[in-house]
Amino acid sequence: MAGRPEPGSDHELLRSVAAGDAAALARLYERYAGALFGYLHRLAGDRMTAEEILQDTMLAVWRSAGAFEGRARVTTWLFGVARRQAHNRLRGRAAPEPAGPGLPDRADLSTGPEDLAIAAAGGTPVAAAIDLLPEHHRDVIALVFVAGLPLAEVAEVLAIPVGTVKSRLHHARAAVAAALTQEVPE
Amino acid sequence: MKDWLPAYAAGSLPEADRERVRAHLTGCARCRAELAAWEAIAGVATPPGPPPDPARTVRAALTRSALDGSAGPADPTASRGLSASGGPAASAGPAASAGFAGPAGFASYAGFAGAAAGDRRARPLRHLLALVRAEARLIRLVVPVASALVMALGVALVLLPGPGLPGGAAELVLALAAPVVAAAGVAGTYRSGTDPAAELVAATPVSGRLLLLVRLALIFGFDLLLALAASAVLALAGTPGAANVNALVAAWLGPMALLSALSLLIAVRFGPDVALGAAVGLWAVRVLAGGTLVRDAWPARFIVEAWSTSAPILLVSAATAAAAVILSGRGEPHGGWRATHPM
Repeated sequence: MAGRPEPGSDHELLRSVAAGDAAALARLYERYAGALFGYLHRLAGDRMTAEEILQDTMLAVWRSAGAFEGRARVTTWLFGVARRQAHNRLRGRAAPEPAGPGLPDRADLSTGPEDLAIAAAGGTPVAAAIDLLPEHHRDVIALVFVAGLPLAEVAEVLAIPVGTVKSRLHHARAAVAAALTQEVPE
Repeated sequence: MKDWLPAYAAGSLPEADRERVRAHLTGCARCRAELAAWEAIAGVATPPGPPPDPARTVRAALTRSALDGSAGPADPTASRGLSASGGPAASAGPAASAGFAGPAGFASYAGFAGAAAGDRRARPLRHLLALVRAEARLIRLVVPVASALVMALGVALVLLPGPGLPGGAAELVLALAAPVVAAAGVAGTYRSGTDPAAELVAATPVSGRLLLLVRLALIFGFDLLLALAASAVLALAGTPGAANVNALVAAWLGPMALLSALSLLIAVRFGPDVALGAAVGLWAVRVLAGGTLVRDAWPARFIVEAWSTSAPILLVSAATAAAAVILSGRGEPHGGWRATHPM
């Protein structure tokens, strides 16, 4: 068993959470708020559902912090918990809902009618294509590019070999590219 | 090298590896093109909008934890709450967590996932038991007490030493008392105005049919036991013509079932007061038809036949009761009393 975790580390913070320190839970969330919420938002497709799953996740972290044994990184554990909560809530949902209305971040790329349609649907063409990916591809994209986890950690979170993470990434990219080159019907 | 490009675009590559990728990119146009594709994805992968406020998020989670009734993380049983909210996918959880939680962690995860599965199976049963207990508390004491008194009076009438009770008196008394006692009780099961929980029932999320079934089971079951007990007492006391419990039970079972079923159907359709009146009226006709006033005319014989214990009668009773339960829950609460009066 490893000795005492370093003061101020994620592990130390999680120990405080396990001991019932609510402020430590808030600090832990603050550290990963952007990555964690972005990941859930990308998985859920809309902000409201993502906020619900985020709450589920914080509740689960609060309750099961004591089960963390320090053999993995806290981030791996945290995103593992978040992913499980997302699956619980999104299970049985037929298809990902389109992203809610938000400002397209590359509105200057083009002003063609199909681009306007995509922007109206709530994002850039690439973002729209990501939203249409099958769930296991979206999960990998979100963990790599939104959560910013190294591929080895992504593999741990998903409980799949690193090679599978890489192949899913390439499939996802190919699917996005295919969606972008597709003719948009008039 | 190609495999490193996504992580490079995501910015999650360690500095040493970044350096190597950068060096390679300067001399490889294909990898530069591929990186551009990854960067296009990386640039838009994060949905717009700031994450929710930490204080608010944590407060909401802690409030839910408190409302769910399980303790905080210091409590070793707390982890059960996770799987309770987790549902079946919690059993997929251990596979994902085993890699880093270690064997002990795996065991605890698997343990509470199993406990949750047990909870799910037992929940409908426990729910039903709680419902029965709650309904039993709502039955006004006067209903079982009055039923028991009437039956006890009947038994006493047969048992008391008195001049010249004819043979078969035991059967007659039971056959007269049991059906009307049960029918009166059943009449009050559906949307009775004197039900202390009438308004609550009207607003309850539990199906009205389920409530009705639970009440019926309680009331009719109680009256059934009462009549059985009375039959047993009379048989054991050796009353003349009442040595056979089977014959005694046959004297009241069919009429009791049929009259109760009719009473229920009328209660569901027209309200408890009409049902009680109709049940008593029907039963009065039966008593008169079997008595001395009318003799041997075919309607009287038919009426007596209809109020006996036989397979067709029991089937008709069951069908009538089923129809009543199906009809229940339609229309506005409290029978004919509309929320608004016609102008």
